[in-house]
Amino acid sequence: MTSVLNVKDLHTSFVMPDLTIAALQGVSLSVDKGEILGLVGESGSGKTLTGFSINRLLSAPGRVVQGEVLLHGQDVLSLGEEDMRHLRGRRIAMIFQDPMMTLNPVLRIETQMRDALRAHEKMSKAMARTRAIAALDEVGIPAPESRLRSYPHELSGGMRQRVAIAIALLHQPDVIIADEPTTALDVTIQGQILSLVQNLCRDRGTALIWITHDLAVVAGIADRLAVMYAGRVVEIGPVDDLLDAPAHPYTRGLIDSVPARGQRGQRLKQIPGRMPALTELPVGCSFAPRCEHAKAACAALPDMTALDAERSVRCFYPLAEGSA
Amino acid sequence: MTSDAILSVRNVTKRFGGRGDFIARGLSRIGLAEPNAVVHAVEDVSFDLRKGEVLGVVGESGCGKSTLGRMVAGLLDPSEGEIVAQASGATTGALPMQMIFQDPFSSLNPRKRVSELIGEAPRVHGIVPPDALDAYVADMMDRCGVDGNYRDRFAHQFSGGQRQRIGIARALAVRPEILVCDEAVSALDVSIQAQIVNLFMDLRDELGLTYIFISHDLGVVEHISDRILVMYLGRIVESGPAEQIFADPQHPYTRALIEGVPRLERRRTVYAPIKGDIPSPIDPPKGCHFHPRCPLAQPQCKVERPALRDIAGGRQAACHLIERPAKKEISIG
Repeated sequence: MTSVLNVKDLHTSFVMPDLTIAALQGVSLSVDKGEILGLVGESGSGKTLTGFSINRLLSAPGRVVQGEVLLHGQDVLSLGEEDMRHLRGRRIAMIFQDPMMTLNPVLRIETQMRDALRAHEKMSKAMARTRAIAALDEVGIPAPESRLRSYPHELSGGMRQRVAIAIALLHQPDVIIADEPTTALDVTIQGQILSLVQNLCRDRGTALIWITHDLAVVAGIADRLAVMYAGRVVEIGPVDDLLDAPAHPYTRGLIDSVPARGQRGQRLKQIPGRMPALTELPVGCSFAPRCEHAKAACAALPDMTALDAERSVRCFYPLAEGSA
Repeated sequence: MTSDAILSVRNVTKRFGGRGDFIARGLSRIGLAEPNAVVHAVEDVSFDLRKGEVLGVVGESGCGKSTLGRMVAGLLDPSEGEIVAQASGATTGALPMQMIFQDPFSSLNPRKRVSELIGEAPRVHGIVPPDALDAYVADMMDRCGVDGNYRDRFAHQFSGGQRQRIGIARALAVRPEILVCDEAVSALDVSIQAQIVNLFMDLRDELGLTYIFISHDLGVVEHISDRILVMYLGRIVESGPAEQIFADPQHPYTRALIEGVPRLERRRTVYAPIKGDIPSPIDPPKGCHFHPRCPLAQPQCKVERPALRDIAGGRQAACHLIERPAKKEISIG
């Protein structure tokens, strides 16, 4: 199966006169049509930066220094800014964590949706309005005609996120990058948004990259997972394999850190220490200082090694099936 | 108050707004302005807290769980009702209740050194003599997992997880018996969150602390709590032992809440979420607050407020549709 989006060996750095911080150091991943890829990591792991790099939303001093982002085989990174504008929002869309930041507070929903539509397609105001109403209806907003007249502050958090999703879906993009879209929402509203996004992507065959720090959220919706640590993907594979038999000690640690059912009151297994700052990364495996399995070989950097056709891991001593 | 309760909350209500300032009142009296809206943040809440127990308070934003926590911690005064704490009085000057906040960035004064952040309250309240203060602060930090040698640093020189530990050390420094943790682990990364949850459980064993653990994260609450209060728009809708609430939720809202929790073992779940948003607390629905979103709502629910009453298994629920203890099984699909 050909992938819609293919990221190869992506390096993003913050280049400053006296200091260069390598924030992403060789991120490779791909998503197929209609597939949901969960991109999991803790703060500072580079998951958001990966989304921004793919969509070329980096601002100086951040820049992609190496690698390819292929959308249907076409390298997005080599496009001119004008071509990128045509692509962004039409073929790659993004949903952010805080819908209050993505929506313009001083414009009505109608104006924002119309602008988004007419940025890529020539159409009359009336036509844009019809399309906007249909899009709002699709994301389950009651009374969409009257909602078009609202300003973002008049909507609840869940409604705002629905509007943001409706805008992302306006042009039927090939890929949607969703950056922690439910983190700021309540549990019941999160459930609504999850089911909505899930259904829309399945029905339309949109590829989705769901960026989150919460393993439990992606466990429910993703087909495949990629786990990031300190600017690198450390493990990637089908969701069931990865969660049931994680190969990387960090993945194992993350899973054990989540309170599970039936272990009430017991101590959670914790990963000692914390993620190193990007300026003081160890030379070899960046997880080695926190890893209970670390050996002498971990002073060198392990490569991504394939375990089977769909799974690979960046570790010299991948955990065997079923071991704790 | 029952004999083993160290805190008793009786019919507590908190209202915000209403009166307005002099001009607003004048305008509304001569009919030029609407009277100020009144928000019932917490309405008629009662519970007892037993020594050494962890009470989890769950609910969505706007349900009044934080307001309740702040009233218990003494940061807000209840509009009605009373909160009675029974401190053992073992340490002179000890403050029986302390609060731990969500954001370890804004809850620590950036201009004070850690030694001062932690040491100020015990010094002022005379819990430790001045010459022993330094060692006391270092001991508190070590106990919470921060190196006591770093006590002359400022808060910004620590990571988020360490800062949360400093917040905990600060609360523990006045020898409290009850800790109110308001979303104390929500802002932390998963691996750090596990460290802090473990710290809370260790401290409970070592110091016999009692916790009120407020969170929207049901996974963490289930893990740590003995008893649960479920709140919706200022009222308790269900309460009882944690195990039972999670295994067999009775109130439709509790069910929705628990079913909505993403879990690692739920793969490719088709979420069947509950409809609608949380209504505004300024103008809550009549009758049962939950009826507009409830899949089982009956005409009765729209007019009559269900009382919180005892159901089977030492639990309480506020729902017209839940049978009394005799007939336990109900089918809610």
